[in-house]
Amino acid sequence: MTDNKIYFKFDGKRYGGNKGDTIASALLRNNVKLVGRSFKYHRPRGIYTCGIEEPNALVQIINEHNEPNVRATVKKIYEGMVVKSQNRWPSLKRDFGSVNNLLSPIFSAGFYYKTFMGPKGFWKNLYEPLIRRTAGLGKPPHEFKSKSTHLHHNVDILIIGGGLSGLLAAKKLAGTNKDVLLIERENELGGILKNSNKIKSINDQEALEWLEKTERLLKNSTNIKILKNTTVTTYNYSNHLTAIEDKSVGAQPENKKPELVLHKIRTENTILANGHIERFLSFRNNDLPGVMLAASFEKYIQRYDVVPDNNPIIFTNNSSTFSLLQLLINRNCKPKAYIDVRDVKKIERETLNLLEAHNIPFYPKSEVEGCDGNSEIKKISVRTKKNKIIKIKASMLCVSGGLNPDIHLFTQSKGLVKWDEKILTFKPEKSFQNTITLGSVSGNFIFKNIIEEINKKLSFIDGTNDIDLKIEVNGSEEFNIKEIWETKNNNKSLWSKSFIDLQNDVTTKDLTQAIREGFDRIEHLKRFTTNSMGTDQGKISSINALGIVSKLLRKSVSEVGTTTYRPPYNPVSFSAIAGRSTYEFYDPERKTPIHPWHIKHNAVFEDVGQWKRPWYYKKYENETMNEAVQRESKHVREAAGILDGSTLGKIEIKGKDALEFVNMMYTNSFTKMRPMSAKYALMLGEDGMIKDDGIVCKINDNHFISTTTSGGAANVLSHMEEFAQTEWPNLNVYLNSITEQFATFNISGPKSRMILSRVFNDVDFSNNKFPYMTFKNINYLNYRVRILRASFTGEQGYEIYVPPKYALTLWERIFYYSRDIDLVPYGTETMHLLRAEKGYIIIGQETDGTVTPLDLNLNWMIGKKKKDFIGKRSLTRSDIIKADRKQLVGLVPIDKTYGIEEGQHVIEDKNIPSKIDKPIKMLGQVTSSYFSPTLNHSIAMALIKGGNRKIGSQIYVSTSNMNVIPVEVVKPNFLDPENKRLLS
Amino acid sequence: MLLIKCPYCGERDQSEFTNGGEAHVTRPKNPEQVTDREWAEYVFIRSNPKGIYYERWVHSHGCKKWFNAVRNTSTDEILLTYKIGETPPLIKKFQNILKSPSGEPDVGSGNFTVKKP
Repeated sequence: MTDNKIYFKFDGKRYGGNKGDTIASALLRNNVKLVGRSFKYHRPRGIYTCGIEEPNALVQIINEHNEPNVRATVKKIYEGMVVKSQNRWPSLKRDFGSVNNLLSPIFSAGFYYKTFMGPKGFWKNLYEPLIRRTAGLGKPPHEFKSKSTHLHHNVDILIIGGGLSGLLAAKKLAGTNKDVLLIERENELGGILKNSNKIKSINDQEALEWLEKTERLLKNSTNIKILKNTTVTTYNYSNHLTAIEDKSVGAQPENKKPELVLHKIRTENTILANGHIERFLSFRNNDLPGVMLAASFEKYIQRYDVVPDNNPIIFTNNSSTFSLLQLLINRNCKPKAYIDVRDVKKIERETLNLLEAHNIPFYPKSEVEGCDGNSEIKKISVRTKKNKIIKIKASMLCVSGGLNPDIHLFTQSKGLVKWDEKILTFKPEKSFQNTITLGSVSGNFIFKNIIEEINKKLSFIDGTNDIDLKIEVNGSEEFNIKEIWETKNNNKSLWSKSFIDLQNDVTTKDLTQAIREGFDRIEHLKRFTTNSMGTDQGKISSINALGIVSKLLRKSVSEVGTTTYRPPYNPVSFSAIAGRSTYEFYDPERKTPIHPWHIKHNAVFEDVGQWKRPWYYKKYENETMNEAVQRESKHVREAAGILDGSTLGKIEIKGKDALEFVNMMYTNSFTKMRPMSAKYALMLGEDGMIKDDGIVCKINDNHFISTTTSGGAANVLSHMEEFAQTEWPNLNVYLNSITEQFATFNISGPKSRMILSRVFNDVDFSNNKFPYMTFKNINYLNYRVRILRASFTGEQGYEIYVPPKYALTLWERIFYYSRDIDLVPYGTETMHLLRAEKGYIIIGQETDGTVTPLDLNLNWMIGKKKKDFIGKRSLTRSDIIKADRKQLVGLVPIDKTYGIEEGQHVIEDKNIPSKIDKPIKMLGQVTSSYFSPTLNHSIAMALIKGGNRKIGSQIYVSTSNMNVIPVEVVKPNFLDPENKRLLS
Repeated sequence: MLLIKCPYCGERDQSEFTNGGEAHVTRPKNPEQVTDREWAEYVFIRSNPKGIYYERWVHSHGCKKWFNAVRNTSTDEILLTYKIGETPPLIKKFQNILKSPSGEPDVGSGNFTVKKP
C-alpha cells in the first residue's frame, strides 16, 4: 500500500487512520458512530467526548494483553492494533443483553439491593454469576509481566497543564533559579490553542506560531523540564503528587522498555493550570450515538482534522459554542440548527450576526426535548419558544451545558471550593497547601484576564518579571450561562430515559426515586444510584446531578455540597503501581549459605518470612511430605539429624548496662547466670503477652547474644531499640543484628556427640566438661566457631555457629565424618514434629498474642526475685490470673488409630446436633498436631479453658466432616518427661 | 505521603518511618506499686485528640532513631519534630494553626470540600 494510512482493526474490521489519530478520531474519520454498549441496559453508545472525560467509548485492546476499559478518545492508534468493543454479545449491532433495556422499568436505582434477597444460596450460585455476565465493562486482561517503572522528582515548582495558562506560567519562570516541571496530558503542548480557534492572536502572532516559539523557549531553558503524555492522578499531603506517563503512545509497547512510568513528585509549590471540562445536559435519549459535547466536536476538527458530521445541530446554554459555529461555517459545514435556551437579548451580537448572515435556522429560548433513532440519531425534537415541538432530521447533536473548572486535583489537595452563581459551577476558593490555580481551573474563563492573574499570583516567586502580552480572541469573551440541567420530557413512557450518568446508566428518574426513598444526602444518593461511580468519575455529569438534586430538594447547590473527590483522577493501571516489584522482585528472598547443598539434596522449601528454609528432603522421587517427615524424625531419635538453622535471628547486646537491659527485656533472671552459659528465655510485651522466645547466651555481664525466631528477628530488634532509646536512654547498651554474620547448624540425636567429637577432635564433649546450656568458642581450621549445647528436639543436641564463608565447608565435613553413622538432614516440618513430642512451643503456633507464660505453664521461666521486667506487672492483673483462661495441654486420642486435625475446636459435649441453631460451647482449639512415629500414635497440643484442671479427663475434638473424636487430656510432654535423652 | 523531618537526617519520605503511637507516656517507676487501673492507663489508654497530638516516630529505614513529633491530626501536618529527651513544646505554641482544611468543628470526621453559603 502506498498511502500514509495507519491500519488497525475494530471488531474484526480493518480501518485506516492518520498518524496521531486516537481510536475515536480514526473511527469518526471512517464514519463509525456506534462503538459500545452501555453498562446496565446495553444501549447503543457512541463517542461522546474527545478526551479523558469519555464515559462511553471504552474499548478492549486485544493485542496488549487484552487491556480493558481503554478510552478510545485517548488511546492513539498504531499499525496492527486490534481493538474490540465491550459488553456486548454476540456482536455490537445485535446485542443479546439489550433485552435489559426492555426490562428497564424494573431495573431502577436500588433494584439489586431490593430484589435479590433470597432464597439462601441463590445469590452466590445464580444471581451474581448472571448479573456479572450481563453487567459490566471489559474482560480482565491476560497475565503479563509489567515493565513499568517508578521515577522520583524533587522540584521547586510543578506546573500541571501545558495549555495557555501553564505555558505562560512556565514562560514567566524560564531563566529563574527555580526547578520547574511542566506536565502535559496530551502528546503536544497547547491545550486550548490546539483545541479551538478561540484565540485569534498573541502579541500579533497567530496562536500556533506563538505556541511553537514558546515551546522552543521552554525547551532551551535549563530550569524547565517538560513531560508529555503524562497525567497527574493524585495530589497528596506535603505537596506530593503522582503522575502516570504513557511511554508507548501511538506505538505497540516494546518488549524491553517500560510501557508506563509512575512519577512521584515532591514540590514546593504546585501550579494547577489543568483547565476545565465541558458538561452535558440531560434530555430524552441524550445517550444516543451522535450526541457529542460541542467543545469535543470542535477539538476533533481542530486537532485531528476530522469533521464528525457536516451538518450537526448545536444546542447550548452559554456562549462558548460561538467558536464551533464559526469554525463550521469557515469549513463550509452549515449547522442544521442552532438551539439556545437563552433569550435573544442574552445572546451576543457576534453570534446573532453569524447565524443571520449564513441563514442558519435559529431557535432562541428553545430546548432539545429529545432525540430519536435506533442505533444513532435520526431526528431531533425541539421545543420552541412557543412550547411547540418540531422535529428536525439530523445525525449529530453538539451539546454544551456549561464549563466546569477541573477541580478534582484541587480538592484532592484539600482545597476548599465555592459555588459561583455567575458561571454556575464550583471554583477554587482557598488552597490548603502551596497550591496556585491559574486560568479556567480557577474559574477565570476570560482569556484577557489571564496575564493579570498570572502576574498577580506568581509575583511572590523570586526572580520573575511581569509578563506583558496582548491576547486577542475571536468573537466575544462573554460566557452568559443560563441555568438548565434537564429539559422537559414529552414522552411519558416508562421506557423513556434521560441520562445523568452515561457510564453507569443512571437516569434522572433514578435521582428522583432515590430522593423519594429518603437518600437525600448527596453521599448516600451517589452510592444508592451509583451516580458518578464509573471509571470516568462523572467528569461531564456530576455537577449536573448536583443541579438536579438541588432543584428537587429546593436547596442551593452549596447546601447540597459535592461528593468527595478521591484519587486517582483517572484510572491507574496496577502494573504502574507495581512497577518493578513483581514476581521475583516483589520481595527479597533470603537464602542460607547451605542453600545450594539443599537444592542438590532435593529439599522442598518453605517460606519463613523472607527466608527460604528446607521444609523436608525427598529421599526418592515419589516420597510424600508425610513419608519424609516420619523417616527424618524417626532417624533423629534413633541416630542423629542436622537442621540448617541459619535463619534464626541473632542480636548482639553490648555495653556497661547490658545485664540490666537483658534483665528488663526477658522474663528470666540473668544476674546469677555464669558466663559462657545459656538460657531459654521469654520476651513479653507490656501487656504480659508472649512476644518471642529464644536462647540468651551470656559471654559476660557486658556482652550477651540472644537468638530470636526466624520470622521475628526484625521485630524483636526494634522492640529492644524502642525501649533502649525511649524508656532507658540513660542505659549504656548497644544493639546489633548479627543474623547474617553466622550460619547455624542444629545437630541432635543420640549420636550427635559422637559425630562432633570426630569433627572437633580437640574439644571435650563429655557431659562434665560440656554440660547442657553451656557454650564454647573454639578455633577450627583458623576460623572461630561457637558451639552451644542446646536442643529443640529433646535429644542430646548442639548448635554450631560458624561464619557464613566457611559454613558450607563445615557442613560437608560434618557429613563426611558421619558417613558410617548415616546423619540425616531434616527440615522445618520434622523440627516441628520433634519439638511437639516434647511439648516445646512455637511462637505464632501455640501463641497468638493473647497467651501469657502462665497460660503455657512456663512459670519457671519468670525470675521471681526480679523487681521489674517488661510485662511483669501485667501478669498480676485480675484478668491474667483467672483460673479458667485458656491453658496449654496435650491431647491423645482414646482410639490410637485416629488422627487429630490442627486448628479444630475442642468441645466438651460429644454430640453435635444435626441442626445447629445456637453456638456450640467451645473450650479452645488445637494448636499443633502430628503423628509421632516414635510413639506410634497421634499427639496434639491445644489451648483450652481451665486446661490445667482438666488433665486426665476425656473431652472431644471436632473434625472437618462434622464428627468428634474422643481424646484424653494429658500434660503437654509426650516423650521422655524426665529429660533423660536431653541430658544424656 | 507526608514529608517528615528526622531530627538526625533531615526531611525524608514517610515510607522511611514507622509511627510509634503517643509520645510522653511515662512508664510507672515502680510498677508493683500501681493499681491495675493505673497500669492499664499506661499500657492501653491513649488520648485521641482531633488537633494537636504528640507522637513518636522511628526512622526505621534510615538511622533507626526514635524521635518525637507534633502532628495536627485533622490536617495531618507535622508541625515539629524533636529528639527524645528534649522538652516538648507547649501546646499554646500551636494555638493559631488551621484547625482543618475547611475550618470545621473540633469534633467530627471528614473534611467539608464546599464553602458554606
